[in-house]
Amino acid sequence: MLEKECIQSRGFKNTVVDQEVVGFQFDIRLMYYRGLWLSQIRSIHIKVDGEAVRLEDISWEINGKLYKQDELKEIGDIQWNVLEPASIHVNVLGGLTTGYHDIEVDYRFSSSYMPPNMDEVLSYGNHKRKLLLVS
Amino acid sequence: MEHKIKRGVSAYSYNKVFGVSMDLDDIMQDICDTGATGIEILANSHIVKYPDVTDAWIDDWHQKLTHFKLEPAEYGHWVESRLYKGRELTTKESIAMLERDFKTANKLGFKVLRTKLGVIDDTLTPVSNWREFIKGALGLAEKYDVRMCPEIHSPTILDSRMIHDYVEFIEKENTEFFGLNIDFSIFQTGDNALVGFGENDFLGPPCEHSKVEELVPLLKYVYCCHAKFLRMDENFREVVIPYEEIIQTLIKHNWEGYLISEYEGAKAEVTGHASDQVKRHQIMLKNLLGK
Repeated sequence: MLEKECIQSRGFKNTVVDQEVVGFQFDIRLMYYRGLWLSQIRSIHIKVDGEAVRLEDISWEINGKLYKQDELKEIGDIQWNVLEPASIHVNVLGGLTTGYHDIEVDYRFSSSYMPPNMDEVLSYGNHKRKLLLVS
Repeated sequence: MEHKIKRGVSAYSYNKVFGVSMDLDDIMQDICDTGATGIEILANSHIVKYPDVTDAWIDDWHQKLTHFKLEPAEYGHWVESRLYKGRELTTKESIAMLERDFKTANKLGFKVLRTKLGVIDDTLTPVSNWREFIKGALGLAEKYDVRMCPEIHSPTILDSRMIHDYVEFIEKENTEFFGLNIDFSIFQTGDNALVGFGENDFLGPPCEHSKVEELVPLLKYVYCCHAKFLRMDENFREVVIPYEEIIQTLIKHNWEGYLISEYEGAKAEVTGHASDQVKRHQIMLKNLLGK
Protein backbone atom coordinates (compact mmCIF):
# COMPACT_ATOMS: atom_id res chain seq x y z
CA MET A 1 0.00 0.00 0.00
CA LEU A 2 0.99 3.61 -0.55
CA GLU A 3 1.25 6.33 2.05
CA LYS A 4 -1.24 9.07 1.30
CA GLU A 5 1.49 11.72 1.12
CA CYS A 6 3.19 12.31 -2.22
CA ILE A 7 6.67 11.75 -0.80
CA GLN A 8 6.86 8.23 0.57
CA SER A 9 8.93 7.41 3.63
CA ARG A 10 9.89 4.01 2.23
CA GLY A 11 12.63 4.15 -0.37
CA PHE A 12 14.67 7.07 1.04
CA LYS A 13 18.32 6.04 0.95
CA ASN A 14 21.71 6.82 -0.49
CA THR A 15 22.32 5.33 -3.91
CA VAL A 16 25.33 3.07 -4.16
CA VAL A 17 26.87 2.18 -7.52
CA ASP A 18 30.04 0.05 -7.64
CA GLN A 19 30.51 0.54 -3.90
CA GLU A 20 30.45 4.32 -4.30
CA VAL A 21 27.70 6.58 -2.96
CA VAL A 22 26.71 8.53 -6.06
CA GLY A 23 23.65 10.28 -4.67
CA PHE A 24 20.40 9.64 -2.89
CA GLN A 25 16.90 8.59 -3.86
CA PHE A 26 13.35 8.79 -2.57
CA ASP A 27 9.96 7.63 -3.80
CA ILE A 28 7.03 9.80 -4.82
CA ARG A 29 3.58 8.64 -5.79
CA LEU A 30 1.44 10.06 -8.55
CA MET A 31 -0.98 12.55 -7.01
CA TYR A 32 -3.55 11.98 -9.75
CA TYR A 33 -6.32 9.48 -10.25
CA ARG A 34 -5.00 8.02 -13.49
CA GLY A 35 -1.61 6.97 -14.79
CA LEU A 36 0.42 9.26 -17.02
CA TRP A 37 2.23 8.62 -20.25
CA LEU A 38 5.79 9.66 -19.46
CA SER A 39 5.64 12.47 -22.04
CA GLN A 40 2.79 14.06 -20.04
CA ILE A 41 5.24 14.78 -17.22
CA ARG A 42 6.29 18.35 -17.89
CA SER A 43 8.65 19.46 -15.10
CA ILE A 44 10.03 18.71 -11.66
CA HIS A 45 11.58 20.94 -9.00
CA ILE A 46 13.26 19.55 -5.90
CA LYS A 47 14.70 21.14 -2.79
CA VAL A 48 16.67 19.25 -0.19
CA ASP A 49 17.20 20.96 3.16
CA GLY A 50 16.11 24.18 1.51
CA GLU A 51 18.54 24.00 -1.38
CA ALA A 52 17.34 23.62 -4.97
CA VAL A 53 18.63 20.62 -6.92
CA ARG A 54 19.81 21.23 -10.50
CA LEU A 55 17.61 19.61 -13.14
CA GLU A 56 20.58 17.83 -14.74
CA ASP A 57 21.23 16.05 -11.43
CA ILE A 58 17.73 14.54 -11.33
CA SER A 59 16.62 11.21 -12.83
CA TRP A 60 13.26 9.45 -12.68
CA GLU A 61 13.17 5.70 -12.08
CA ILE A 62 9.89 4.30 -13.36
CA ASN A 63 9.23 0.56 -13.54
CA GLY A 64 12.92 -0.06 -12.91
CA LYS A 65 14.22 2.18 -15.71
CA LEU A 66 16.06 5.47 -15.27
CA TYR A 67 15.13 8.54 -17.32
CA LYS A 68 16.41 12.10 -17.47
CA GLN A 69 13.74 14.80 -17.67
CA ASP A 70 14.66 15.43 -21.33
CA GLU A 71 14.08 11.79 -22.22
CA LEU A 72 10.59 11.67 -20.71
CA LYS A 73 9.15 14.11 -23.23
CA GLU A 74 9.62 11.68 -26.12
CA ILE A 75 8.09 8.60 -24.43
CA GLY A 76 4.39 8.38 -25.22
CA ASP A 77 3.86 4.63 -24.85
CA ILE A 78 5.03 3.88 -21.30
CA GLN A 79 3.02 4.83 -18.24
CA TRP A 80 3.77 5.93 -14.74
CA ASN A 81 1.04 3.81 -13.15
CA VAL A 82 -1.03 5.04 -10.23
CA LEU A 83 0.01 2.31 -7.78
CA GLU A 84 3.69 2.36 -8.70
CA PRO A 85 5.78 5.06 -6.98
CA ALA A 86 8.56 6.66 -9.02
CA SER A 87 12.01 6.76 -7.47
CA ILE A 88 13.64 10.13 -7.82
CA HIS A 89 17.42 9.91 -8.01
CA VAL A 90 19.58 12.91 -7.20
CA ASN A 91 23.25 12.87 -8.16
CA VAL A 92 25.39 14.25 -5.38
CA LEU A 93 28.71 12.61 -4.65
CA GLY A 94 28.73 11.17 -1.15
CA GLY A 95 24.94 11.32 -0.83
CA LEU A 96 23.29 12.65 2.32
CA THR A 97 24.27 12.28 5.97
CA THR A 98 22.48 10.01 8.43
CA GLY A 99 19.60 11.91 10.03
CA TYR A 100 16.52 13.92 9.09
CA HIS A 101 16.27 15.81 5.81
CA ASP A 102 13.61 18.15 4.45
CA ILE A 103 12.49 17.11 0.98
CA GLU A 104 10.34 19.33 -1.25
CA VAL A 105 8.96 18.26 -4.61
CA ASP A 106 6.83 20.02 -7.19
CA TYR A 107 6.14 18.19 -10.45
CA ARG A 108 3.75 19.11 -13.24
CA PHE A 109 1.91 17.14 -15.87
CA SER A 110 -0.40 17.81 -18.77
CA SER A 111 -4.05 16.75 -18.95
CA SER A 112 -5.55 17.05 -22.42
CA TYR A 113 -9.19 17.15 -21.34
CA MET A 114 -8.62 20.38 -19.43
CA PRO A 115 -8.75 23.73 -21.29
CA PRO A 116 -5.28 24.52 -22.70
CA ASN A 117 -4.80 27.46 -20.34
CA MET A 118 -5.36 25.01 -17.45
CA ASP A 119 -3.19 22.28 -18.97
CA GLU A 120 -1.21 21.60 -15.79
CA VAL A 121 -3.69 22.81 -13.16
CA LEU A 122 -4.53 19.33 -11.85
CA SER A 123 -0.89 18.78 -10.96
CA TYR A 124 -0.48 21.89 -8.81
CA GLY A 125 0.88 21.20 -5.37
CA ASN A 126 4.14 21.62 -3.53
CA HIS A 127 4.84 18.50 -1.53
CA LYS A 128 7.06 18.56 1.58
CA ARG A 129 8.16 15.91 4.00
CA LYS A 130 10.85 15.38 6.60
CA LEU A 131 12.43 11.98 6.12
CA LEU A 132 14.96 9.99 8.12
CA LEU A 133 17.94 8.59 6.30
CA VAL A 134 19.86 5.65 7.76
CA SER A 135 22.50 5.31 5.10
CA MET B 1 -43.37 1.67 -13.76
CA GLU B 2 -41.40 -0.97 -15.68
CA HIS B 3 -37.98 0.09 -16.90
CA LYS B 4 -34.59 -1.26 -17.90
CA ILE B 5 -32.33 1.08 -16.00
CA LYS B 6 -29.52 -0.53 -14.04
CA ARG B 7 -27.39 0.67 -11.17
CA GLY B 8 -23.59 0.79 -11.40
CA VAL B 9 -20.70 2.47 -9.63
CA SER B 10 -17.52 4.01 -10.98
CA ALA B 11 -14.33 2.85 -9.31
CA TYR B 12 -13.22 6.47 -9.80
CA SER B 13 -15.42 7.36 -6.81
CA TYR B 14 -12.74 5.88 -4.55
CA ASN B 15 -9.76 7.44 -6.34
CA LYS B 16 -8.44 9.41 -3.38
CA VAL B 17 -8.02 6.27 -1.29
CA PHE B 18 -7.15 3.83 -4.08
CA GLY B 19 -3.85 2.19 -3.22
CA VAL B 20 -3.84 3.90 0.19
CA SER B 21 -6.65 2.16 2.06
CA MET B 22 -8.52 0.33 -0.72
CA ASP B 23 -7.40 -1.92 -3.55
CA LEU B 24 -9.51 -3.02 -6.53
CA ASP B 25 -10.91 -6.00 -4.60
CA ASP B 26 -12.05 -3.70 -1.79
CA ILE B 27 -13.70 -1.39 -4.32
CA MET B 28 -15.52 -4.28 -5.99
CA GLN B 29 -16.65 -5.60 -2.61
CA ASP B 30 -17.99 -2.14 -1.72
CA ILE B 31 -19.88 -1.90 -5.01
CA CYS B 32 -21.26 -5.42 -4.56
CA ASP B 33 -22.49 -4.48 -1.08
CA THR B 34 -24.67 -1.71 -2.56
CA GLY B 35 -26.55 -4.15 -4.77
CA ALA B 36 -25.29 -2.37 -7.90
CA THR B 37 -24.69 -4.78 -10.77
CA GLY B 38 -22.21 -2.83 -12.90
CA ILE B 39 -18.75 -1.37 -12.51
CA GLU B 40 -16.88 1.33 -14.38
CA ILE B 41 -13.10 1.22 -14.32
CA LEU B 42 -10.64 3.71 -15.71
CA ALA B 43 -8.12 1.96 -17.91
CA ASN B 44 -5.04 3.74 -16.69
CA SER B 45 -6.07 3.73 -13.06
CA HIS B 46 -7.36 0.27 -12.34
CA ILE B 47 -5.40 -1.85 -14.82
CA VAL B 48 -2.27 -1.92 -12.71
CA LYS B 49 0.35 -2.20 -15.46
CA TYR B 50 -1.57 -0.32 -18.16
CA PRO B 51 -1.14 -0.29 -21.12
CA ASP B 52 0.21 -3.80 -20.55
CA VAL B 53 -2.47 -6.26 -19.60
CA THR B 54 -1.48 -9.88 -19.12
CA ASP B 55 -3.66 -12.94 -19.65
CA ALA B 56 -3.30 -13.63 -15.92
CA TRP B 57 -4.71 -10.17 -15.09
CA ILE B 58 -7.60 -10.68 -17.48
CA ASP B 59 -8.41 -14.09 -15.97
CA ASP B 60 -8.27 -12.61 -12.50
CA TRP B 61 -10.58 -9.75 -13.57
CA HIS B 62 -13.23 -12.16 -14.84
CA GLN B 63 -12.98 -14.19 -11.65
CA LYS B 64 -13.45 -11.05 -9.59
CA LEU B 65 -16.53 -10.09 -11.61
CA THR B 66 -18.06 -13.49 -10.94
CA HIS B 67 -17.12 -13.42 -7.27
CA PHE B 68 -18.53 -9.93 -6.67
CA LYS B 69 -21.54 -10.46 -8.98
CA LEU B 70 -20.68 -7.47 -11.18
CA GLU B 71 -20.73 -6.91 -14.92
CA PRO B 72 -18.50 -4.54 -16.88
CA ALA B 73 -20.60 -1.38 -17.38
CA GLU B 74 -18.20 1.21 -18.71
CA TYR B 75 -14.50 1.52 -19.51
CA GLY B 76 -12.97 4.97 -19.16
CA HIS B 77 -10.12 5.88 -21.49
CA TRP B 78 -8.52 8.93 -23.07
CA VAL B 79 -7.33 10.25 -26.38
CA GLU B 80 -4.45 12.21 -24.87
CA SER B 81 -4.21 14.84 -27.58
CA ARG B 82 -1.49 16.88 -25.84
CA LEU B 83 0.62 13.78 -25.28
CA TYR B 84 3.66 15.60 -26.64
CA LYS B 85 4.25 19.19 -25.65
CA GLY B 86 3.82 21.69 -28.45
CA ARG B 87 1.67 19.66 -30.83
CA GLU B 88 -1.56 17.69 -30.97
CA LEU B 89 -1.81 14.02 -31.83
CA THR B 90 -2.36 13.26 -35.49
CA THR B 91 -5.46 11.43 -36.67
CA LYS B 92 -3.42 8.26 -37.16
CA GLU B 93 -1.90 8.45 -33.67
CA SER B 94 -5.34 9.07 -32.16
CA ILE B 95 -6.82 6.03 -33.90
CA ALA B 96 -3.92 3.89 -32.66
CA MET B 97 -4.56 5.09 -29.12
CA LEU B 98 -8.26 4.25 -29.47
CA GLU B 99 -7.59 0.81 -30.91
CA ARG B 100 -5.27 -0.16 -28.06
CA ASP B 101 -8.12 0.52 -25.61
CA PHE B 102 -10.77 -1.16 -27.79
CA LYS B 103 -8.75 -4.38 -27.64
CA THR B 104 -8.30 -4.23 -23.88
CA ALA B 105 -11.92 -3.25 -23.22
CA ASN B 106 -13.07 -6.13 -25.39
CA LYS B 107 -10.94 -8.64 -23.49
CA LEU B 108 -12.31 -7.33 -20.19
CA GLY B 109 -15.91 -7.56 -21.37
CA PHE B 110 -16.80 -3.88 -21.76
CA LYS B 111 -19.17 -2.76 -24.51
CA VAL B 112 -19.55 0.90 -23.54
CA LEU B 113 -16.58 3.23 -23.36
CA ARG B 114 -16.32 6.65 -21.78
CA THR B 115 -14.05 8.14 -24.42
CA LYS B 116 -12.47 11.34 -23.18
CA LEU B 117 -11.25 13.68 -25.90
CA GLY B 118 -8.65 16.42 -25.70
CA VAL B 119 -10.11 19.93 -25.72
CA ILE B 120 -9.07 23.25 -27.23
CA ASP B 121 -10.95 25.90 -25.24
CA ASP B 122 -12.74 26.80 -22.00
CA THR B 123 -16.09 25.39 -23.16
CA LEU B 124 -14.37 22.02 -23.74
CA THR B 125 -14.68 22.02 -27.54
CA PRO B 126 -12.94 18.82 -28.70
CA VAL B 127 -9.80 18.84 -30.84
CA SER B 128 -10.37 19.89 -34.45
CA ASN B 129 -9.68 16.45 -35.98
CA TRP B 130 -12.14 14.53 -33.75
CA ARG B 131 -14.44 13.71 -36.67
CA GLU B 132 -11.57 12.25 -38.67
CA PHE B 133 -10.23 9.95 -35.96
CA ILE B 134 -13.64 8.91 -34.61
CA LYS B 135 -14.78 8.12 -38.14
CA GLY B 136 -11.52 6.28 -38.73
CA ALA B 137 -12.13 4.20 -35.59
CA LEU B 138 -15.80 3.27 -36.20
CA GLY B 139 -14.89 0.08 -38.05
CA LEU B 140 -12.52 -0.93 -35.27
CA ALA B 141 -15.18 -0.18 -32.65
CA GLU B 142 -17.54 -2.49 -34.51
CA LYS B 143 -14.85 -5.16 -34.76
CA TYR B 144 -14.20 -5.03 -31.00
CA ASP B 145 -17.89 -4.49 -30.15
CA VAL B 146 -17.43 -1.25 -28.21
CA ARG B 147 -19.28 2.10 -28.27
CA MET B 148 -17.31 5.32 -27.86
CA CYS B 149 -19.11 7.87 -25.69
CA PRO B 150 -17.60 11.26 -24.98
CA GLU B 151 -18.58 12.47 -21.55
CA ILE B 152 -20.89 15.49 -21.57
CA HIS B 153 -19.78 17.26 -18.41
CA SER B 154 -20.19 20.77 -17.01
CA PRO B 155 -19.38 23.45 -18.12
CA THR B 156 -20.72 21.94 -21.37
CA ILE B 157 -24.47 22.44 -21.83
CA LEU B 158 -26.85 20.41 -23.98
CA ASP B 159 -27.96 23.37 -26.09
CA SER B 160 -24.51 23.85 -27.57
CA ARG B 161 -22.49 23.60 -30.73
CA MET B 162 -20.67 20.57 -29.32
CA ILE B 163 -23.82 18.49 -28.83
CA HIS B 164 -25.17 19.64 -32.18
CA ASP B 165 -21.93 18.51 -33.86
CA TYR B 166 -21.93 15.12 -32.12
CA VAL B 167 -25.56 14.44 -33.07
CA GLU B 168 -24.96 15.55 -36.64
CA PHE B 169 -21.97 13.19 -36.83
CA ILE B 170 -23.93 10.22 -35.44
CA GLU B 171 -26.80 10.84 -37.88
CA LYS B 172 -24.52 11.36 -40.87
CA GLU B 173 -22.49 8.21 -40.15
CA ASN B 174 -25.62 6.34 -39.13
CA THR B 175 -23.56 4.64 -36.44
CA GLU B 176 -24.30 2.95 -33.14
CA PHE B 177 -20.59 2.89 -32.25
CA PHE B 178 -20.42 6.52 -31.18
CA GLY B 179 -22.85 7.99 -28.67
CA LEU B 180 -23.00 10.07 -25.53
CA ASN B 181 -22.29 9.65 -21.84
CA ILE B 182 -24.30 12.22 -19.93
CA ASP B 183 -22.69 13.38 -16.70
CA PHE B 184 -25.33 14.78 -14.35
CA SER B 185 -23.04 17.68 -13.44
CA ILE B 186 -24.68 19.43 -16.40
CA PHE B 187 -28.00 19.52 -14.48
CA GLN B 188 -26.65 21.00 -11.24
CA THR B 189 -29.16 23.45 -9.74
CA GLY B 190 -27.76 24.02 -6.25
CA ASP B 191 -24.87 26.26 -5.30
CA ASN B 192 -21.41 24.74 -4.75
CA ALA B 193 -21.46 26.28 -1.27
CA LEU B 194 -23.96 23.55 -0.28
CA VAL B 195 -21.37 20.89 -1.05
CA GLY B 196 -18.76 22.04 1.45
CA PHE B 197 -15.68 21.70 -0.72
CA GLY B 198 -12.30 22.05 0.99
CA GLU B 199 -9.41 24.22 -0.15
CA ASN B 200 -7.67 21.28 -1.84
CA ASP B 201 -10.67 20.28 -3.94
CA PHE B 202 -10.55 21.30 -7.58
CA LEU B 203 -13.59 23.33 -8.63
CA GLY B 204 -14.37 24.65 -12.06
CA PRO B 205 -15.53 28.25 -12.39
CA PRO B 206 -19.28 28.94 -11.99
CA CYS B 207 -21.11 28.04 -15.20
CA GLU B 208 -24.44 27.65 -16.93
CA HIS B 209 -26.39 24.38 -16.60
CA SER B 210 -29.00 22.56 -18.68
CA LYS B 211 -32.63 21.75 -17.96
CA VAL B 212 -33.40 18.06 -17.55
CA GLU B 213 -36.09 18.17 -20.27
CA GLU B 214 -33.43 19.12 -22.84
CA LEU B 215 -32.08 15.58 -22.51
CA VAL B 216 -35.23 13.93 -23.91
CA PRO B 217 -34.52 14.34 -27.65
CA LEU B 218 -30.94 13.14 -27.09
CA LEU B 219 -31.75 9.98 -25.14
CA LYS B 220 -31.56 7.73 -28.19
CA TYR B 221 -27.85 8.58 -28.45
CA VAL B 222 -27.09 8.04 -24.77
CA TYR B 223 -25.53 4.66 -23.92
CA CYS B 224 -24.56 5.42 -20.36
CA CYS B 225 -24.98 8.09 -17.69
CA HIS B 226 -22.52 9.25 -15.12
CA ALA B 227 -24.76 9.68 -12.11
CA LYS B 228 -22.47 12.39 -10.77
CA PHE B 229 -22.99 13.39 -7.18
CA LEU B 230 -21.26 15.92 -5.02
CA ARG B 231 -22.88 15.41 -1.63
CA MET B 232 -25.48 13.02 -0.27
CA ASP B 233 -27.09 14.14 2.96
CA GLU B 234 -28.17 11.87 5.82
CA ASN B 235 -31.64 11.59 4.33
CA PHE B 236 -30.18 10.15 1.13
CA ARG B 237 -30.79 13.27 -0.95
CA GLU B 238 -28.27 14.80 -3.32
CA VAL B 239 -27.95 18.43 -2.28
CA VAL B 240 -27.24 20.17 -5.63
CA ILE B 241 -28.42 17.87 -8.47
CA PRO B 242 -32.16 17.33 -9.18
CA TYR B 243 -32.17 13.54 -9.13
CA GLU B 244 -35.89 12.99 -8.79
CA GLU B 245 -36.59 14.88 -12.00
CA ILE B 246 -33.71 13.22 -13.86
CA ILE B 247 -34.70 9.66 -12.95
CA GLN B 248 -38.40 10.28 -13.60
CA THR B 249 -37.51 11.64 -17.04
CA LEU B 250 -35.34 8.62 -17.87
CA ILE B 251 -38.05 6.17 -16.79
CA LYS B 252 -40.84 8.05 -18.54
CA HIS B 253 -38.95 8.02 -21.84
CA ASN B 254 -37.95 4.36 -21.59
CA TRP B 255 -34.23 4.99 -21.48
CA GLU B 256 -32.18 1.82 -21.01
CA GLY B 257 -28.72 1.53 -19.62
CA TYR B 258 -26.45 2.02 -16.66
CA LEU B 259 -26.58 4.85 -14.19
CA ILE B 260 -23.08 4.91 -12.81
CA SER B 261 -22.58 6.52 -9.42
CA GLU B 262 -19.61 8.83 -9.61
CA TYR B 263 -18.63 10.62 -6.42
CA GLU B 264 -16.78 13.89 -6.93
CA GLY B 265 -17.39 15.69 -3.66
CA ALA B 266 -15.41 16.78 -0.63
CA LYS B 267 -13.40 14.72 1.87
CA ALA B 268 -12.82 11.95 -0.66
CA GLU B 269 -9.42 11.32 0.94
CA VAL B 270 -10.97 10.56 4.36
CA THR B 271 -11.01 6.81 5.03
CA GLY B 272 -14.46 5.39 4.37
CA HIS B 273 -16.04 8.69 3.29
CA ALA B 274 -16.43 7.91 -0.42
CA SER B 275 -17.75 4.43 0.46
CA ASP B 276 -20.40 5.97 2.70
CA GLN B 277 -21.36 8.54 0.07
CA VAL B 278 -21.64 5.86 -2.63
CA LYS B 279 -23.90 3.77 -0.37
CA ARG B 280 -26.14 6.76 0.29
CA HIS B 281 -26.31 7.49 -3.43
CA GLN B 282 -27.17 3.90 -4.27
CA ILE B 283 -29.94 3.94 -1.65
CA MET B 284 -31.37 7.03 -3.36
CA LEU B 285 -31.14 5.49 -6.82
CA LYS B 286 -32.74 2.29 -5.56
CA ASN B 287 -35.62 4.29 -4.08
CA LEU B 288 -36.12 6.36 -7.22
CA LEU B 289 -35.83 3.39 -9.58
CA GLY B 290 -37.91 1.08 -7.43
CA LYS B 291 -35.21 -1.61 -7.60
